Amino acid sequence: MRSRGARSVALAGLLLLLAVARAGAQQVSGAEQRGLLLEQDEKYREAAAAYREALATTPGSVMALLGLERVYAQLGWPDSLLPVIDRSIAAAPREPALRAAQIRTLRSLGLTDRLQQAFERWTRDMPGDAGPYREYARLLLQDGQLRTADSVLQRARARLGTGRGLELEQAQLRAAMGEWALSATSWYEALERAPYLEQAAILSLVATPQEMRPAVRRDLLAAGRNVPARRVLAALELHWGSPQDAWMVLRDLPRDTATFAAWSEFARRAEDAEAWTVVRAALEALLRERPTADLALRAARAALHGDDAESALALVRQAERGLDSAEAVVVTVPLRLEALAALGRAAEAQQTLDAYAGHASPELQRRQRALVAWAWVRAGDVARARALLGNDVTAEAGEVSGWLSLYSGDLATARRTLRVRGRATPELVTALALLARTKADTSAATGDAFLTLARGDTLRAATAFEEAAVSLRDARTLLLAVAARLHAATRDDARAVLLWSELATKDAEAPEAPEANLEWARALRRAGKHADAVERLEHLILTYPNSALVPQARRELDLARGAIPRAS
Amino acid sequence: MVTPRLRLFAAACMLLGALVPARLWAQFLLVPMDDEQRNHLKAYGLTYNAIKDGLRAEWFLNYRGGSFLLPDAADVRRRAGLDGVTVEPISASRLGAIRAEIAGGNMDAIPLEKAPRVAIYTPPDAPPWDDAVTLALRYAGIEYATVFDEEVVRGDLSKYDWLHLHHEDFTGQFSKFHIAYRGAPWFIQQVQGAQAMAQRLGFPNPPALKKAVAERMRQYVENGGFLFAMCGATETLELAMAGFDVDIAGNFADGTPVDGNADAKMRWTRSFAFANAHLEQSPFVNAQSDIDGHQVNVPGRRQPLGTFTLFSFSAKFDPVETILVQNHRTVIPDFYGVTTSFMRRVLKPGVSVLAEEEGAPWTKYLHGHYGKGSWTYLGGHDPEDPQHGIGNPPTDLALHPNSPGYRLILNNVLFPAAKKKPLKT
Repeated sequence: MRSRGARSVALAGLLLLLAVARAGAQQVSGAEQRGLLLEQDEKYREAAAAYREALATTPGSVMALLGLERVYAQLGWPDSLLPVIDRSIAAAPREPALRAAQIRTLRSLGLTDRLQQAFERWTRDMPGDAGPYREYARLLLQDGQLRTADSVLQRARARLGTGRGLELEQAQLRAAMGEWALSATSWYEALERAPYLEQAAILSLVATPQEMRPAVRRDLLAAGRNVPARRVLAALELHWGSPQDAWMVLRDLPRDTATFAAWSEFARRAEDAEAWTVVRAALEALLRERPTADLALRAARAALHGDDAESALALVRQAERGLDSAEAVVVTVPLRLEALAALGRAAEAQQTLDAYAGHASPELQRRQRALVAWAWVRAGDVARARALLGNDVTAEAGEVSGWLSLYSGDLATARRTLRVRGRATPELVTALALLARTKADTSAATGDAFLTLARGDTLRAATAFEEAAVSLRDARTLLLAVAARLHAATRDDARAVLLWSELATKDAEAPEAPEANLEWARALRRAGKHADAVERLEHLILTYPNSALVPQARRELDLARGAIPRAS
Repeated sequence: MVTPRLRLFAAACMLLGALVPARLWAQFLLVPMDDEQRNHLKAYGLTYNAIKDGLRAEWFLNYRGGSFLLPDAADVRRRAGLDGVTVEPISASRLGAIRAEIAGGNMDAIPLEKAPRVAIYTPPDAPPWDDAVTLALRYAGIEYATVFDEEVVRGDLSKYDWLHLHHEDFTGQFSKFHIAYRGAPWFIQQVQGAQAMAQRLGFPNPPALKKAVAERMRQYVENGGFLFAMCGATETLELAMAGFDVDIAGNFADGTPVDGNADAKMRWTRSFAFANAHLEQSPFVNAQSDIDGHQVNVPGRRQPLGTFTLFSFSAKFDPVETILVQNHRTVIPDFYGVTTSFMRRVLKPGVSVLAEEEGAPWTKYLHGHYGKGSWTYLGGHDPEDPQHGIGNPPTDLALHPNSPGYRLILNNVLFPAAKKKPLKT
């Protein structure tokens, strides 16, 4: 049984059909109208009688014949349609919709020979028309008969002297046959005539294998700046994980409305893909042509996501020029504070906060204070950060307070606060792991190590964590592992390996031992010491068979043994 | 004479045995090959290396996807642990129950006795990643040697139990790639290398050399060797053997056109699998004959990929065919190759069809005997890279440890290790 929603949609469709027919050249007869309404009420037998009545008076009526096709399909009588179609075609031999209905019906009945004959008759009756080839090729493509579809399209090209009007089918055929470059060429031609095929082209070409993509790029970028084709290529590049290439495709298009729409659409897609660098590039390009505060703010957010706080600040300033002060407080100040906090420019952040304090709601003010507190942390002034938060017990302030406790070495308070307040970030995971491991309530060295890390000084933080490991004995291996990771991040492989090897050999019972073995083995493999790497990995797999790192170790083992391609 | 010290030692051993829990130390390890197995491909390597180390193994055909039975040895457990191969320790009584189950169903237990000496026919400078068998052997940890024209002509094949061929064109026409790749540096290098090799070994041109190589391979099988071919090697080996004394190579390969009457002159009694195939003589059509059903490189003839179904055989009466189709899946997605499939109408009588695409006029996987030896053909290039194109990145089997297509390849590798039983049919 149909749902009410489906029936409403069908009714709307039929009414639209009626309206279109009324507006068009063809008059809707009373019988046809009756047929439509009966069909809507699912009275298919009665509807069929009405449509037959209409066809008896006007045998070439497209509306009546298509109605009959629909209701016969519902009744499971498609074979009864064939004689009716024959009469309709005899009455209106140049009507393509009737011919299309004929080959559709023959195909649904599996009458291959008659289908072929009907197609041939159609081509004879309308010799210069691409319609028969297009409809027949479409059906063959749906049935996966690629070879036959190919010969039909080749024949069309030979008979008509052009492939015009068949580009879509050609493109689909080539993609189905794995001839990606030819498919791209056909899509290029199809998009020139019918830009609305953009989505179909993207869906068809997105499966292009890696090695064929250069050819697809070349063909979609063919001479002439076909904006729809460029939009297709940009979307494909995004799907293929090359956002920079995607933007390159669009950025040099002529500055006109179509291009601006393409840039805007691209920015939206890139935001969905979180490709922040190109989001910003596209939005900045749009800003240069049509500056608005909204675009500047979106670009500023993209810059912040892309860790470019300096540019974000400049964009925020640009946005402010287009807004009144009340709007600016709500919209731009948080972004400005976020950028200043990321840059550690605490004094400026504090100044901004103070200047707009009276204009923001209490809730907004609390959020902004938390941001400025982070700015003070990055500037190294934990006391100022703490003073700023005061006795604020809201979520944002609570999280910052937890971190401040940790930075000042007050592990007991940090343990209490961060466990319930903290947002899940890699730093929080490390901090919570430490606080769970150690029983100590204070450790100034550990606080200093985390603070150094928060200030972005990775090199010094690595050393600080090593120093903290000396005093905080019950979390020694965890702190050394953090230090090793930081050394590796600063490309100090030698120091990292020293720590990993120490952990792997002297602290075999520690939770960090499997990671230490894995990282040590990776370093050995990078240094070309494959036999040593194999030994280390085998030790890891056999000693810690239940470790979550075993699958990674097996993969490293395969690579070290040459059992799988190294490029992968 | 039993001394008191020996008695004491025996008692200690018994006590120790009683204290070790059964789950830690069993008498056998069952390597299940159904969906319980975490790494089907490495399971073959585990079994191969156990046999190579002199351990006795058994192949339980049709039992849990074609499982293996290995002794519970420390080395076997170690290797299984390293490779992530699922093993189940079983006691003698559990084994007895399994054997009873095998005896009562369409299953059989085949002893695996000797690790076959494996050779892969490949050019000396070929990267190891462009051949599915090499990929599978390396991933599974099965050792192999490589041979090429010089070793084959010299008669080295007799040193090996198992020979694999991949996409070599034994008609000497370089897979007719001159149509599309004549300017490509790799193709020019390949042609020059083949010409130099032919000259060095005393043959006028590559087609003459490849025919001689194909003839040596035919003799190898005739004398008891096992040959496993995939991709274009299947079709072209057949053409080279049947066309031994016919000019079947185009002008671009040997300087003379194909014999216009080549079809009629082919001696199909010399080939393993096919008869009465039609040679594609046009140098502009990238196909060798009408053996392949898919014709991937011929626009207009190319057929889409479907799925192929493995046949089920009687394990007790057709153990060889049963071995070759052991799998945890029976329907497998098809994959292209220079030769993807084999048209049914050109198969010789007596050839066993191991897999086919239902309703299609072609087959996928064939096996047969020739002289004292046997051969298997599997169409397609790489089971996990169905559209494989030249220059594609190599397949990383660590991402496909349960590949049913690759299992077919590895069934063939272990097949020569099976102790020959007298065939019952």
